[in-house]
Order: sequence, then structure tokens, then C-alpha cells
Amino acid sequence: MSSRRSRSRQSGSSRITDEQISDLVSKLQDLLPEARLRSNDRMPSSRVLQETCNYIRSLHREVDDLSERLSELLATSDMSSAQAAIIRSLLM
Amino acid sequence: MAGRLDSGTAFPWRRIAGIHKAQEAKPTPPSSRAMASSPSSTTAHERDPSCKVMDPAAASPARWRTRREQEMYSSKLLHALRLVRAGRSSLPARGREVRDAADRALAVAARGRSRWSRAILASRARACCFRALRARLGAPPAAPAALRSPAAPLARKAKVLGRLVPGCRKLASFPALLAEASDYIAALEMQVRAMAAIAQALQSPAAS
Repeated sequence: MSSRRSRSRQSGSSRITDEQISDLVSKLQDLLPEARLRSNDRMPSSRVLQETCNYIRSLHREVDDLSERLSELLATSDMSSAQAAIIRSLLM
Repeated sequence: MAGRLDSGTAFPWRRIAGIHKAQEAKPTPPSSRAMASSPSSTTAHERDPSCKVMDPAAASPARWRTRREQEMYSSKLLHALRLVRAGRSSLPARGREVRDAADRALAVAARGRSRWSRAILASRARACCFRALRARLGAPPAAPAALRSPAAPLARKAKVLGRLVPGCRKLASFPALLAEASDYIAALEMQVRAMAAIAQALQSPAAS
């Protein structure tokens, strides 16, 4: 397995190149909220992957919190009037 | 697919998403944003025909920021929430059910063009039987990752990322994994925006 990996690094034509990796990583960096603040700096690839994982986890947490909130609101509110309000807010 | 060109008043999603009008007005995403370039996608197809590569034009992350997508998702979500609530008339709906409904609606909104959306719908269809079966079989055999894996420290983080994005645990191709992750992130952001707007509207129906 390790010999195959070292061979893959030497032949660059059909294997993924470092340039391709950094290109993909920079595109991913553009999606991160932290990167939008300092758009000119290039973070190292490992940092970008780490931040991506953290960001996905925080998004999952937000969705969970919102789900809890929605479940409570659904229990208490009257659906028809709430739906009218939502549709109004969507159209505005 | 293009978002509607809104020449009227600026609606709140643009401010929340922080995107420029020019970006939204473009009918197709610019080539610089497309994740998988054609040479690499054909290579992926040749090497691993079972691994479906995302269609780059259709699955660009920018489409999740259009108003149209969010509207369609919000209406799907409302419908699903109504069903959730109707199904449990006596008991209050649990947060987990709302989360599952929201995820399923998000996967449907992706129209099956991404691996994570197919994984969400598939796991829902097979429910607990699949999960129990997978637990019994143990971890799936590692795919030959030497073809397209980056250097070792990156590979470790890429594996963690693969566990976070649904359906990408065994995904060997690094470019495909990053493409899935970027699409998934954009979709999650839209999900958060839509759910927050609905929660806001439910909380203060008289004010809106």
C-alpha cells in the first residue's frame, strides 16, 4: 500500500496534483464565514479542512436548535394563522 | 437554473446571505465556481463508474442562495411540518422529528444530484434496519484511496470531513468529497435561514 502511494506521488499525470488540491481547498475556503472576513489570506489546507469540519458541526447544531424551537412553537401556535403569516413573509 | 431577477426592493435574504446582486443575476454559475472540472470528472467516471460525480453546472453551491430555492424549500418544509404535527395530535412534536423532516425536505430540494442528498433519502427509506445491519457488519471496507488521496495529514482531516457529510464516508475521491462538502454547506446555510425565518414568523404572527 505504501509503495503504491509513493508511486502515485511521483507520477503526476493521472493522479491528483498538489495544485489541484490547493485549488479545491481555496474554493472551499471561500465558503467559510471566517474566510470571508479576510478574503486575501490563504490559509493552509489542513486549517481549511479543520474549519470546514467545525463549520459543518456548528451548522448541524444550529439546525438542531432551530428544530427544537420549531417543535415547541408548533405545539403552541395555531397553524393556519401562522401559515398565513409565513406566506406573507415569504412573498415580501 | 437561475434565481428570479428581483429588480424591486432588496429582500432580506440577500443581506443575510451577503451575496452581491451580480452573483445572483448570473443565469449559470461562472466556471470558476464549478467544483469539478470536466477532465477530472471524466477521469473519475473511467476509474470508478459506480461513484456518481456531481453534475457541476446543476449542483453549484451558489444556487442555494437564490430566493427561489429558499421559497421552494420553505413551502416544502411547512408542508412536512404540518404532517409532523398532524401525525402527533396529542403529543407535541419532538425536535428530532422536525430535524428529520427538515433534512428530508432539503435532500428533496437537491433533486438527487448530490451524494449527500441521496444518502439522506436512502437512510430514511431503509430506516433502522439499515443502520442495524451496518452496525452488525462493522465498518465498511476501505476503498483504495491511493489513486486520489492527498498527503497523509490532509487525508486524516478529509476522513473526518467524510464522516460529517452524509453518504461520503467511503468516498475515495478528494475532489468529489470537497465538491459534496461545499454543496452540503451551502444547502445547510439555506436550511438555517429558512428555518429561522419560519420560527420568527411563528413566534410573532401578529407583528409580520
